Amino acid sequence: MDARPAIIETQDLVREFKKTRAVDELNLSIPGGELFGLVGPDGAGKTTTLRLLAGLLDITSGSARVAGYDLSDQVEAIKPHIGYMAQQFSLYSELTVRENLTFFAALYDVPRAELGDRKDRLLAFAGLTEFKDRRAGHLSGGMQKKLALACTLIHQPEILFLDEPTTGVDPISRREFWDILNELHLSGTTILVSTPYMDEADRCSRIGLMFEGQLVVCDTPARIRAGIKGEVVELQLEGWQAARSMLEDLPGVLEIQTYGESLHVLVDSADRRMPEIQDALDSQGIRVKNVRHAPLRMEEAFISLIQGMEG
Amino acid sequence: MSSRHLWAITRKETLHIFRDRITFFLVILAPTILLFFMAYALSVEIKQVPIAVLDFDRSATSRTFINQITAGEDLALYAQVGTLYEIEDLLMRGKIKAALVIDPNYARDLGSMRGMPMQVIIDGTEPQSGGFAIDQISWRAEEFINQTLAAQIQALDPSLDDLQPIDLRVRTWYNPGLEPRVDLVPGLLSIVLGMPALSVALTISNEREHGTLEQLMATPVSRTELLLGKMIPYILVGMLNAVLIPIIAIIVFDIPFNGNFLLFFLLSTIFMFAILSLGIIVGVFMPTQPAALALSFLVIFFPGFFLTGIFFPIAAMPEIMRLEALALPGTHYAIITRGAFLTGVGLDVLWPYGVMLFVLGCSFVAVAAIFFRKKLG
Repeated sequence: MDARPAIIETQDLVREFKKTRAVDELNLSIPGGELFGLVGPDGAGKTTTLRLLAGLLDITSGSARVAGYDLSDQVEAIKPHIGYMAQQFSLYSELTVRENLTFFAALYDVPRAELGDRKDRLLAFAGLTEFKDRRAGHLSGGMQKKLALACTLIHQPEILFLDEPTTGVDPISRREFWDILNELHLSGTTILVSTPYMDEADRCSRIGLMFEGQLVVCDTPARIRAGIKGEVVELQLEGWQAARSMLEDLPGVLEIQTYGESLHVLVDSADRRMPEIQDALDSQGIRVKNVRHAPLRMEEAFISLIQGMEG
Repeated sequence: MSSRHLWAITRKETLHIFRDRITFFLVILAPTILLFFMAYALSVEIKQVPIAVLDFDRSATSRTFINQITAGEDLALYAQVGTLYEIEDLLMRGKIKAALVIDPNYARDLGSMRGMPMQVIIDGTEPQSGGFAIDQISWRAEEFINQTLAAQIQALDPSLDDLQPIDLRVRTWYNPGLEPRVDLVPGLLSIVLGMPALSVALTISNEREHGTLEQLMATPVSRTELLLGKMIPYILVGMLNAVLIPIIAIIVFDIPFNGNFLLFFLLSTIFMFAILSLGIIVGVFMPTQPAALALSFLVIFFPGFFLTGIFFPIAAMPEIMRLEALALPGTHYAIITRGAFLTGVGLDVLWPYGVMLFVLGCSFVAVAAIFFRKKLG
């Protein structure tokens, strides 16, 4: 599939906690320079995977290599090569934006001669230049995330591990954050990012879907969508509340999502089910204002895949 | 060990101390405030303890004795009662802390030098006041016997005057007034100067709770750099306290300082290292701040009060407690503070305690470094 050598590679990687197997024989291979999105329901093992790869958790069994070093006995050697941003990343709120950057620069041994220049560039990059003397605790949520990212980038790591970096961030900041990731991606940084947002997953070069500690699907967004046996019928109708509960029981209906006044019905085949849906609604006297065959969103693809696993 | 890493952690922690109000209070103001509170609360002098008197003798002698007992500031005559029932009633209602019962043969026996028959009843639920009443009554009774004896001897031989048949001369060294304050304040220094240990424990669990520790673990910083870097600013602040608080003790509480201040300062610095290392252990083992707070009280402050010999002599403790006392930095430091303030001894006497503190500090750091891993879970 890809000729470039893997910079992150796991073989039957297992991590057990007291009662659960959070990561269960995970096999993951990410070539250098990829922007890889890790998705999956809560508890699928995304955070544990990222923590294992960042050297923050002991491996129960299996093996993993990151940047050419073995995670089981060369953990400390990996650290200068990676940037890691935890899910609940919190900065030192009493330190200013600049002090936070200086602090992490020192821990990563950034050459002093380059430090001033790098800080200026990262501040501009993250749009934080005018806030450089503000305390981190007084920044908005979105700015804190961007500062956190800047702190993990200060040593120009080859690999970036980001655990749900945009959770709890407003849509505009989210977009800005992803623009930054895209720039990093273009400059050659390997990025492994977990996200609960499907629109974000769509921006990755490859997506891995985790379920119960395993990687169940791993492909490009386009190919994942293409592989889904399901299509979306968008309905605009009067009295969608009644229609919704009725449609749920129809054969071939996999999932119904409400978008304002319209319903997105995920069905196995749009051509076959559209007339059936129409008939069912007519028999109940529900007037249909508009029916159309809508493109499959990543979100629906994801739900369909998960329901396939569970069901 | 990278000095740049160490400096980064130290600098960050120092900024934290001065910018975070709670930490600033705990580290810089709390020790002074605590010293004031404890020194005043613990050295309250007992005065005007209310007592009742049941006089079965009703003689001139017994009346004189009663007057002498209650003449001073120490005991206050709450009531003269007629029956034992009244005494019990007053004790139960908390109106009196002690009662004196004078035997019907009091005057007769004293006159014939056969004794001084009387009984003291005290409220055992408040042994401090009760014990104080016993001391006072015994001391006045002794005086009274002295006077009576002197009068009788003089009646036999008028040429003898200025008689003092019982003459016990007590000399108290180092604290001539036996003032509790003078002994307590130097002892309490080991507790108040140990306050930053709490902050250092909290700062580690605080980082764990807020996720910044996870972030640090992902960097190339080493465990020793992290732990030492966190400790250094608190040692420096502790050294500041080690100058400031003794000065307050000397000026405000009028405690004599007979030793060498420089030596005391040096030994105090070693004490800071030892007690802060204990704080580091607490922070390393406890996952959250409330847990770290609870354990700090359990291993630093309560033993600091009760096992370090400030209030209770270590020699009187069971063997296992004496061993525990040896492992507490406060035990050795209490000896150092009393030595420096009161007896004024020098390094020739205090060196073993300094060495002991250093050994304890190193062992605590070693334990912390062994158990503190750059891993989660």
